Amino acid sequence: MSRLFVLAAGVLALLLAVVAWRIIESSNSPEIPFEPKNRPPPPAPLCPWREPEADLKLFFPDATRYELDTRILSGLRLELAERLGRTPTGDENALHVYRIYREQTPRGAVLTRRAKGAFGAIEIVLAANTKGMVCGLRLQRLREPESIAVALQNPAWLRSFDGRRGDRSWRPGADIPDVAPEARASAEAIADAVRSLLILLAASDESRSQRPMATRHH
Amino acid sequence: MLLLAFRNLVRRPLRNALTVVGFAVAVAVLACLSAFGHGYRRALGTELDRMGLQMMLVPLGCPYDAAARVLKGKTLENSLPESALDAARHDPAVAVAAPLLMAALPLPNEGRADLWVGLDESALELKPWWHVKTGEPWFSGDDSVILGCDAAEVETRAPGDWFYSPETGQKLRVTGVLERSGTSDDSLFFVPLHTAQRMFQQTNRLTAVAIRLRDPAQLREASERLQRIPGAQVVTLTEMMGTFLNLVGAVRTLLFSIALVAVTVSMLSVFNTLLAAVVERTGELSVMRAIGASRAQIVGLITTEALLLTGAGSIVGIVLALTIGRGVENLVKQFLPLAPSEPLLLLTSTSLWQCAGIGAAVGVLAGLYPAWRASRLHPAEALKAE
Repeated sequence: MSRLFVLAAGVLALLLAVVAWRIIESSNSPEIPFEPKNRPPPPAPLCPWREPEADLKLFFPDATRYELDTRILSGLRLELAERLGRTPTGDENALHVYRIYREQTPRGAVLTRRAKGAFGAIEIVLAANTKGMVCGLRLQRLREPESIAVALQNPAWLRSFDGRRGDRSWRPGADIPDVAPEARASAEAIADAVRSLLILLAASDESRSQRPMATRHH
Repeated sequence: MLLLAFRNLVRRPLRNALTVVGFAVAVAVLACLSAFGHGYRRALGTELDRMGLQMMLVPLGCPYDAAARVLKGKTLENSLPESALDAARHDPAVAVAAPLLMAALPLPNEGRADLWVGLDESALELKPWWHVKTGEPWFSGDDSVILGCDAAEVETRAPGDWFYSPETGQKLRVTGVLERSGTSDDSLFFVPLHTAQRMFQQTNRLTAVAIRLRDPAQLREASERLQRIPGAQVVTLTEMMGTFLNLVGAVRTLLFSIALVAVTVSMLSVFNTLLAAVVERTGELSVMRAIGASRAQIVGLITTEALLLTGAGSIVGIVLALTIGRGVENLVKQFLPLAPSEPLLLLTSTSLWQCAGIGAAVGVLAGLYPAWRASRLHPAEALKAE
């Protein structure tokens, strides 16, 4: 009985401590009535995958499910800097990989990225097979003028990425088909984003066996 | 006596735990409602003070809906003639009259809309938080745009970059990116007023005119004069605040009634638990009386048990309110006519003490009859059964 009493008293003391802490914390919060509070900026929003069902049908028609695999790559910054040829950006510290399966068999992965187009963000949906090669590319959102948008969304140009890996050269006009001059800046941004995603995917897969990450099933 | 009461309670752990949980939920609801009342009033006042304006000219229609939509960065179906701006600026009581033209371009694929706001330099006098993070603090020409910080992040834009609106075919140059303000401005695209009017084919039309008076004491007279502007109506922020508080107050009264029912039910639950305990322990209580325990001591014992039950319930309820408060706040914000960016739940030590006091009062009330009944037990009657 006395043990139970001590246990209950302990739980009660803990609850009281939590209450006291929250009261002290709330009373310490600064109040500046006529000025907006400066809140810590949230991290840059990650690029969402807007139409997973349609993209699965397009890139992996036999897929039955996918799961989100979040890989933390901050431990690989030196290696990534060498492979990317530049310092990794802040949002390259983590990689959201949508792993695609047919039943239990892996079919590949889908990655999304926001590239800096000439006139606004370009959202890329990249499909890669299990060997880390491009097997599909789609621009899910862009803000470019009509002439540039048509050039960038040309199916032949998008298909020219198929079969490519991150370790190759990616210059539009030399390694991949050229586009109209006004679309070149955005095309280079897309090519760089696709190449970066492939490199990040390869790096995350190489380090995958080291530590299991959280997954979410769909 | 405290130890004895506690030991009596832990003899039926499940029953008493359920009673405590029931009481805790009622206390949590009460605490959240009390905190919401204080928090919403304070946050709404802060939000409206921060805007630095006393009234708005809005198109004919429901003025409160119109003003709330403008303050939330949403568009209106109607618009004002630009002559309303001139009329407002010529009023002797008006210090600043800032025109606004708002337009939303829906993006159904993304489940949101691009929100464009056209304004002129007078808006700077009403937006004390207008500070650029990078670039120029104001438009460099008709084809320039200033982006809220969230909008700039999502669109990967920086000062000097081009920005294109595919829906209107307008090419713009980014001149600045605003610092985070915690308001709806963070996700807006700001363009010069005339550019917005051209982009959205709203020549000489406005969504609203925000007004600051030279002397707030002239509010009534100025309001009466401005009300005569054709096609426009005046809504003062004091009226808006009163309307919102009335709306929220009505809902709060309803919720308080529900909370009162919850507290009453939980009090009956405590009463039932204690009465069952007294019936079960008839023999034991009789023996206590037989060996010298006074009636007052028996009443004290049962009352202490009641207070322990409701005290534990109050503590758990307050912890629950502190824990789930933010979730409740996010839920409530979706239904408010104007949800300030400030925290709406303000759990003060006063409201926590009030909840604890209610818990104690309920405990004493619920324990009265069981305690009286226990004190009336006759020792001989119980010992006869033994």
